[in-house]
Amino acid sequence: MTFVLAACVAVCFGVSVYLLLGRDLKGVAMGVFLIGHAANMSILAMSGSPVPTEQEITSGVAIAELKEAPLSAYDTPSPALGGMVDPLPQALILTAIVIGFAVMGFLLTLLVITARSAGTLELGELAKDDDAEEPTADATAAPGGAA
Amino acid sequence: MSDPTNNLLILTVAVPVVMGLLCVPLVNLPKLCRGISLLSFAATFIISVVLLGQLGSWGDPETGGIMVSQMGDWAAPYGITLVFDSMSGLMLAGASLVALCTTLFAIGSLPARTERRYFHPLVNFLMLGVNLSFLTGDLFNLFVAFEIMLMASYGLLVIGGGKDQLRQAYKYVVMNLLASSVFVIAAGMTYGMFGTLNMADLGRLTTELSARGELPTGFTALGVLFLFVFTLKAGVFPLWFWLPDTYPTLPISIAGLFGGVLTKVGLYAIARTFSLVFLAGEAGAVIIPILAVGAALTMFVGVLGALAYTSMRRVLSMMLIVGVGYSLFGIVIMTEGSLQGAAFYMVQSMVVMAAVFLCCGLIERATGTDDIGRMGALLQQPKLIGLGVMVFIGLLSIVGLPPTSGFHGKLIIIREGLTDMFWVVGVTALLVGGLSLLAALRVWGSSFWGPAPNTADTPEGDDHAQIQSFPRSERVGAWGLIVASLLIGFAAEPLLNTAGRAGQQLAEPQAYVDAVLNNPRYAADAVAKAKPGDEKSEYDTYAKPSKAEEEHH
Repeated sequence: MTFVLAACVAVCFGVSVYLLLGRDLKGVAMGVFLIGHAANMSILAMSGSPVPTEQEITSGVAIAELKEAPLSAYDTPSPALGGMVDPLPQALILTAIVIGFAVMGFLLTLLVITARSAGTLELGELAKDDDAEEPTADATAAPGGAA
Repeated sequence: MSDPTNNLLILTVAVPVVMGLLCVPLVNLPKLCRGISLLSFAATFIISVVLLGQLGSWGDPETGGIMVSQMGDWAAPYGITLVFDSMSGLMLAGASLVALCTTLFAIGSLPARTERRYFHPLVNFLMLGVNLSFLTGDLFNLFVAFEIMLMASYGLLVIGGGKDQLRQAYKYVVMNLLASSVFVIAAGMTYGMFGTLNMADLGRLTTELSARGELPTGFTALGVLFLFVFTLKAGVFPLWFWLPDTYPTLPISIAGLFGGVLTKVGLYAIARTFSLVFLAGEAGAVIIPILAVGAALTMFVGVLGALAYTSMRRVLSMMLIVGVGYSLFGIVIMTEGSLQGAAFYMVQSMVVMAAVFLCCGLIERATGTDDIGRMGALLQQPKLIGLGVMVFIGLLSIVGLPPTSGFHGKLIIIREGLTDMFWVVGVTALLVGGLSLLAALRVWGSSFWGPAPNTADTPEGDDHAQIQSFPRSERVGAWGLIVASLLIGFAAEPLLNTAGRAGQQLAEPQAYVDAVLNNPRYAADAVAKAKPGDEKSEYDTYAKPSKAEEEHH
């Protein structure tokens, strides 16, 4: 299970880095989105194997892989806490996901506004637009000044 | 051991939340919103100064004068901890003062339409994030605080939405999102390695483990990950490229706020986490050289940038980066004295950078440009003499010529820095000091002193007469910060003492660990006494120990 998670994290990372290095802002946004997921999954991987297989349960090996909840170290651990997966990483992931939603909403809104005002989402064209803008600004200013 | 618990310190976080939320429905009543905002920052400033005073008066040797508040009364490694020591207090007070004055300035300078686009709630939430980062006692909450701060700063970044602003916003937003993801990963890895995210607990664990030489594999890599995150937020050399592009596009009052406060949050995070946790064992040998080289390059390249640009906003952004270099240098030396210097310098730099950004706004209002090549002889206009004095004081405070406020911090940092290990960086710092004097005099000289530009036919010349009366709130805001910076310079002793305590607490983090973990309120025996025998459900032993303690009495 941990291996599967690790593979997922790796794939997510790879794809997101590829997207982040691109010149299309939509791709960059998706890359940011994916890297957030990779981060969340890596925290999940840190919390130990969530579902032990039947074989692991019978052999008793996987229990060692389950991280104990930090509260169980607080005092004499109660038996009820024995089979519990550490809930804290999941709380962390929950928080990170919620923050990710907000950030993603913002980023997509920003994309829409930029697309409306610049007419493109290609980084190269946005930069070109930047260079082209100043002469046009001057050109529009000059007739105004003349008038 | 006295009980360091003080729940008042939650107020510095709670006040901006409440005030910010209050502003949201009232956004169409700008006057009320302004009042609420100003009240909020004035209140946080006063609270943090009062708390700092209390720290000083009961700074007992056992806890080193550190206040702790355990949210919901959950004991330290398991609950959310807020910690207020001298460093946090100084940063809180400085940030609130800057927020107060820049908001005052914004009232006069922001277009009414922009102000109604949730400017006041956003600034309040920004300060919530900033204050929480200064107070929080664990790494995940530091992440959350950073995110609150960043979300608000994204909002402020595109407020008013100029085309240029939108275009540059991407760099800032995407870089910070990337850094946030790395932060989450690094926090997750820390939890995987140590099973805790509480900084005091981490500090205890790393000290114990490194003493036994049993630090987990990858601990250094973890430190480097955090280094990436924090140096990006602070604007340290290879990772500062977003800063001089985005800050100049902002409305000037917001640029002042960002320039004053945001980079300091990154620096504070470096000072806090690295002094406590990430320099343990072999990690220090890797990380300290990286930070030292980063500090030297930040200063040097920054000052070259300040000399190269002609746009005043860009020059100020580069000077801000130079300040980051100095602060980082103070932090990286990691002696008590250098940390004192860094603490002092960071507070001073907050105030002064915001002040000169605001002055730059006034100059723009007077001349219609921020290009120093297109202005000159501003001193010849009688109404601008006051502004000239302000800018002069501000720039010299950045450079740190003796009577002004930058001097003490720089002096301490460089004096501590001229040791065997760091002498190259120390010499760079001296050289950069000279160069930044040059940069500052170039700005002041060509705008106020030098000959008037040959642009008599441009419309600006005519505008002078009309625009010169600055709104009162702008003047008050800018003068407030300039006067504060003068006070820092001429009455430096109380601040230096506080910074000294901050340096001592950062250099010997044991007091921090003790104050958070060995809080007598949650002492082990109090829990033990409430344990079995008296027929309680198991939850009582796990939940609030203080409740159990109260029952015992």
